[in-house]
Amino acid sequence: MVSAQALLDGATLDDSIVITRSREQPELFAVVFDRHADEMFRYTARRLGAEVAEDAVAEVFLVAFRARTRYDPSRPDARPWLYGIATNVVSQHRRAERRRTQAMAKVPADRPGSFDDRSVERVTAEQLQPRLARALSTLSARERDLLLLVAWTDLTYEDVAEALRIPVGTVRSRLHRVRAKLRRALGGIDPFALEPQHG
Amino acid sequence: MDDEIELFSTGRPAAPPYPPGAREAARRRLLNAAAGRRRLLWPRPGWQAVGAFGLTLALVGGLGVALSSGSAPVAVPGATTTESVSVAAPPREFADLDPKPGQFLLVESETMSRAESLDQGKQTRYLNRTERKFWKPVDGNGKGLLWIAGLKPKPFPGSTLPENAESWQGGGWNEVDGHCPGSPDDTRTDYVHLSTLPSDQAGMREFIYKQPRGGKQPRGDNGSDVGAFTAVGDLLWENYLPRAQRQAMFEAAKTIPGVEVAEGVQDSAGREGVALGKVRNGVLEQLIFDPDSYLFLGERGTVVDERAGGAPVGSVVALTAQLRISVTDRLPQAENVAEDASCDQSQPATPLPTGTGDDLTKPSADPSKTPPPPVD
Repeated sequence: MVSAQALLDGATLDDSIVITRSREQPELFAVVFDRHADEMFRYTARRLGAEVAEDAVAEVFLVAFRARTRYDPSRPDARPWLYGIATNVVSQHRRAERRRTQAMAKVPADRPGSFDDRSVERVTAEQLQPRLARALSTLSARERDLLLLVAWTDLTYEDVAEALRIPVGTVRSRLHRVRAKLRRALGGIDPFALEPQHG
Repeated sequence: MDDEIELFSTGRPAAPPYPPGAREAARRRLLNAAAGRRRLLWPRPGWQAVGAFGLTLALVGGLGVALSSGSAPVAVPGATTTESVSVAAPPREFADLDPKPGQFLLVESETMSRAESLDQGKQTRYLNRTERKFWKPVDGNGKGLLWIAGLKPKPFPGSTLPENAESWQGGGWNEVDGHCPGSPDDTRTDYVHLSTLPSDQAGMREFIYKQPRGGKQPRGDNGSDVGAFTAVGDLLWENYLPRAQRQAMFEAAKTIPGVEVAEGVQDSAGREGVALGKVRNGVLEQLIFDPDSYLFLGERGTVVDERAGGAPVGSVVALTAQLRISVTDRLPQAENVAEDASCDQSQPATPLPTGTGDDLTKPSADPSKTPPPPVD
C-alpha cells in the first residue's frame, strides 16, 4: 500500500500546506492522518478508553476532512485544530466518559507491582488514580475539556485557546477556577501526598 | 501555582497503542470519504459527474481515487489517435426531449481520461476508459444514480500499461445527491432549473461567469475566463438543456476570451461537430457540439504545447462522447451503492450514540450552564 505521502514526492510540508492541497486532492488528507492519528488515539483513549477511542479517532479525522476548507492556512501545525475536534467528538461520547471515570473512581488503590500479573499491571496503568477520577467528576464538561487538554497533551496555553476557540486570557482565568475546584475536591489534602501513579 | 494540574499531568493514564487493524480501518474510511465525497467542497458537479477535463482517476493502494485537474499535466508520448474511421451521425433524435419533474434523464456515455497509478511507490500514467450511465433527477430533488464500468485502459504510446491499471473494474454504483435543500439556486444543475436560464447570449454569459467554481478557480488574470469555460463543460456533461438554453450556452461560451472555434472535430464516437476550445496546461480542451441542434456531443483534449502539456503536440489525452440521452420514470434497481453524503455535510458519517449533528469543528456549548459565563 502506497502512503499518501508518496503523492507529495516525499516532501516535508507543513500541515497547513497539506490541508490546503487536500482541497483539490482529497486523498492527501491521509497525510494528516498518518502524522497525527497515533497522538489523537492516545488522547481519546485516555479520556474514553481504548475501545470507544477506536471509533472516535476515525470520527475525528472524518470531521476534520469535511471541514478542511475552513482550516486556517496560517496555522502550520494542525494539532490544536484536531484536538479541538477531538474534544467535541469526546463530548458526543459523554456517557462512555462518565462510565469510565466512575469505574476508575472505584478501582482499589492497589499499586501496580503488588500483582505478579503483567496484564493487571497494564490495565491498572491505563486507569486514572481513583482520587483524581473522583475530582475530575466534580468538574463541568467544559472544565474537564480544558484541564485535560492542558494536562494530557503538550499543547501550549495558546494552542489550547485555539483548540477551544477562546481567548488565551480565558484559558488562564478558567484554569484558575479549575484549580480551586480541584483543591476543594481533593479534600484540602496536600496534593503532593498523593503519589503519582506514573511518571 | 500548577499543583493540581501537575497532579493530572503526572498521573495521566497510560494509553494503549493504536491497534493496527483499527488504525487501518480508520484510514480507509477517510480515503473512502476522500474518494466519494468531493461534492462537499465543490457544490457543482462532483467527482462522479465531471467530464474528461475535470478529474484524474488515481489508483492509490488499489483504490480508485479522483484527483481534480489543474495540477501538473500528464506526460503522453505518442501521436494523435487515428481510431475513428467513419463519421457517425449526430444524435439529433435526442434534440427535443420533454422531461418532466419527478422523472429522470438517463445519459449514457463513454470516456477516456488521464489516470495515475501509484504502485509500490512508483507513479505511472495511462489512459483510463469507462462506460457510464447516469440517471439524473429532472427536478434536482432526491438522489440520482451513476453506474461506472471500467473499459480496457490504454497505455501511453512509448510506455507500458501499469500492472494495476487493469485491476480497476470500474466505479460501480454511486448515489449522486441532487440539489441540496437550502443551497442557493445558482448551484442547481437540474433540467427544471436550467430551463429557466436566459435564452440569449448576454444573459447566459452573465450566468456562466457567476457560477461558483469553489476550489477549482485557478489563480491569475484569466481565472474567471477559465472558470466560466469550466462551468460550461460541467453544466453540459451528463446533462440536458432545452434547445434555447443550449444555443445560448454555446453562443455565450464562444465569447469567453481565449476560446477558439473549430469545425469538424470528432468526439469519442466519431461524430463530427463544431468545437469550442480553450488551452489549459498545454492541452486544448474542446467541447464539441452538433452545429444544428446544439446538442453537446463530447470532449476532446489535445496536447498543443509539448513542454506545458508534457507530451508531443497532437497527443489526445481526453476523449468522451454522450452516446444516448433518454427520459425514464424511475431509477433502476442497484446493489452495493456508494452513498453520497453531500447534502449532510454537517452530520457525522455514522450516527453517534448521543449524536446531535452539531458542527463538531466548533466548540460545543457547555451543557451545565445556559448563559455563557463572563470571559475574564
